[in-house]
Amino acid sequence: MGLVACTRCTHAWPLGQERCTRCGHRLVSRDAMSLQRVWALWIMGLLCYVPANVYPMLRTRTLFTVEESTIIGGAVELAHHGSWGVATIILVASVLIPMAKFWAIAFLAVSVHKRSAASYHQRQLIYELVEYIGRWSMIDIFVVAILSSLVQLNSLAAINPGPASLFFALSVIFTMLSAQAFDSRMIWDVQSQDEEAEDNV
Amino acid sequence: MSKTPADVSISPARKVFMSGASVVWIIPLVALIIALGVAWKSFNDRGPLISIEFSDGAGIKAGETELKYRDISVGKVEKVDFTANLARVLVHVRVDKQVAPFIDEGSVFWIVEPEVTAQGITGLSTVLSGVYIEGSWDTEIGNFAESFRGSDTTPLIRPGQSGLQIAFRSTANGQLTDNAPIMFRGIEVGRVGEAQISPQGNYAIVEGLIYEDHRNLVNTSTRFWDTSGFDVTIGPGGAEIDFSSLATLVGGGITFNTFVSGGERVQDGTIFEIFPDEETARNSVFSASAVDPLLISVIFEENVSGLAVGAPIELSGLKIGNVESLTGVVDYNVFGDSRVRLNATLSIQPARLGLPDEVSAETALAFLQNKVSSGLRARLASASLLTGGLKVELVEVEDAAEATMDVSQNGGLPVMPVTKSELSDAAATVEGVFSRINNLPIEELLNSAINLMNSAEALVRDEDLRETPGDVRQLLADLSGLLNSDDVQNVPVALNKTLVSIEGMVAELEEQRIAAKLGGALEAAEEAAKSVSSSVEGVPELVAQIEAVAAKASELELQELVDEVANLTRSAEAVIGTEDAVALPGALKGALDELNATLRELREGGAVENVNRTLASARNAADNIAVSAQDLPGLVERLAGVLTQASRTIKGYDKGDQLGRTAEETLRDIQKAADALAKLARTIERNPNSLLLGR
Repeated sequence: MGLVACTRCTHAWPLGQERCTRCGHRLVSRDAMSLQRVWALWIMGLLCYVPANVYPMLRTRTLFTVEESTIIGGAVELAHHGSWGVATIILVASVLIPMAKFWAIAFLAVSVHKRSAASYHQRQLIYELVEYIGRWSMIDIFVVAILSSLVQLNSLAAINPGPASLFFALSVIFTMLSAQAFDSRMIWDVQSQDEEAEDNV
Repeated sequence: MSKTPADVSISPARKVFMSGASVVWIIPLVALIIALGVAWKSFNDRGPLISIEFSDGAGIKAGETELKYRDISVGKVEKVDFTANLARVLVHVRVDKQVAPFIDEGSVFWIVEPEVTAQGITGLSTVLSGVYIEGSWDTEIGNFAESFRGSDTTPLIRPGQSGLQIAFRSTANGQLTDNAPIMFRGIEVGRVGEAQISPQGNYAIVEGLIYEDHRNLVNTSTRFWDTSGFDVTIGPGGAEIDFSSLATLVGGGITFNTFVSGGERVQDGTIFEIFPDEETARNSVFSASAVDPLLISVIFEENVSGLAVGAPIELSGLKIGNVESLTGVVDYNVFGDSRVRLNATLSIQPARLGLPDEVSAETALAFLQNKVSSGLRARLASASLLTGGLKVELVEVEDAAEATMDVSQNGGLPVMPVTKSELSDAAATVEGVFSRINNLPIEELLNSAINLMNSAEALVRDEDLRETPGDVRQLLADLSGLLNSDDVQNVPVALNKTLVSIEGMVAELEEQRIAAKLGGALEAAEEAAKSVSSSVEGVPELVAQIEAVAAKASELELQELVDEVANLTRSAEAVIGTEDAVALPGALKGALDELNATLRELREGGAVENVNRTLASARNAADNIAVSAQDLPGLVERLAGVLTQASRTIKGYDKGDQLGRTAEETLRDIQKAADALAKLARTIERNPNSLLLGR
């Protein structure tokens, strides 16, 4: 006889009850569609990440020239100008962290079925890290939004967001949704299966 | 313990495909579809790649430089590299798919760069933004072409552009300014492009564009002229500097006007001439015919200087055209040697040939071809002996070698056969004239002239000369006085009287037979005659002197003449003043008187002894008289000569002068006296004895 907790209001109900009588949320012990959602959103995030890097992030127009820079191109240019710190921040926030997130979510989703070298606690930690750090990826979008709204000096100079900014934002949103769609309880399901197997032996 | 039935093996119904799939998969699916769609669309929208050749890159950057059409970007440079041998730059441009079909073989491309000219600054925006490639093509879809040759300059006439497209040709020695505006009343109504020199180098040609709005300003009777630079005219109204605008002053310009009405609408491609100034342009309206001139070429064997552009072409003395241009021609294949020949392009006005039918260049050519087959040839002839200028004459040559007007050679111009030119003599003459003029001792002449003037001035100031007329007048007065003197007047009377006396005496003598005293008388007569002859002796000298003067006068040595005249005058004066001369009539009279007295004595005395001897003596005396009288005609002649000379001299001095008239009258008197003297002399000469014998 087991219990199932409502994922909205955390009230525990006996297993088999259809809905939470407190908040009306549907009660499931394990969301069978969770992994599918994770993967679908993960793929969406990755899809959006490609144009986010290919298209220009910023369109800088000065008096006579229009300059467009992609994320990596802008970072490289900054590095060329000697701003290593800023270049590093951009690279970490816009490239390293999203890539790490993709890897982390994919790792977690795969590790539900397969044994992993990482312990359950480590995986839980990774999951929490991904959840936490996901929102900070939006820092790029904030920079673009702020620059675009501040630097609008008519004909002298203007900065406009490039198409990549939209895709980057979408990519961040989809990865965040993907991370949220992951049912972290499944990490531990693997452990209980393992223990059952040990008990049977 | 209740038994439960054994587990029934239930195989679930066959799982429907995707039955367990989450709806969320729709999102990536849709995204994928959209992405694929976008990818396909962008690939589909990708226009073709064209390559344009330029002589230099001029700041073209791959991925940045745009291709613009009507100032709108329609493509972007993708790659810049070189042609195979690095001779030119090859620019690959990705053009928009929508405009690509319009880019056909007629398209032109050029690089827009900042440019500063006299007319203004263009392409300023490219200073900072960088150059771009401008393309131009018409509005019709044509066969897509992939590679183009870019124009190095901004083309004036772009495909599909509206406006009147015409061309300008410079006149024989006119000029053209390229990239200049066409102004009309100070407004730019068109523009000319880059000028080009014709293949034969005899004129420049430039294409021009009259903007669509001003198309109606130009018709077939419009004349264009060059307004480059400025005119300076100095006239009664003061000096004037005339230039139409600062831009045309610096950069040149063309303007036009339609001087006469009745021009027809101009089609694209019409060629107009550019005249050097308004005056010429205006005149050309009235002088030139509306028909295009016939251009023919003539290759002269001689390479003579003197034929100039604009020299007249004459047919039977009638001017039918001008020499359009002159070039040298060397063609081993045609002539067989490498000598330079004179190639003259003649512009013949068909209207001046007086053709009966339609007047056009074609009929003129046919007419000339016909004439050539019957012997018409071109030759050089002297137009002006003084300047050595030449003209081209078309003459019919008898028994000329067969020839036709060849149309195929020499750049398509019909070639007129030539005949031997008629200028070697003329040229030589001209040369001779020139060398003679050259050899003229102008300097010496001038010096001589100056000297002469000085001498003349000195001469005129000379006292002697001033006195000369006075002297002459004096002389003439003296002569007149002399002739008018009673003595001279009385000579014939006395002579007559004497003769009468002698006659009477002889009659008496015959009667009385007494001639006793006759001998003495005759002796006296002889003496008298002698004295006459001796007193006359001075006269021939005077005559000789006068003659010498006359001779010298005829030699026209003015100074000497004057001196001589002065001398003569003095001498004449001296002679006339001599006792002898004064005494001459007196002596003559004396002698006659003596004779008379003797005769009277004779008559009175009645002595007739030794009459025969006396008669002989008388004959002798008569002979003597005759001898002495023989000199008389000579004297008379000389006197006449002198008188002629003198009268001539005096006439020379002043014809209408009073002095002249007096002198002439005097001379006539002298002449008369001389004539009388001559008559007397002749009488005496004819029969000296009659003087004595009365028969």
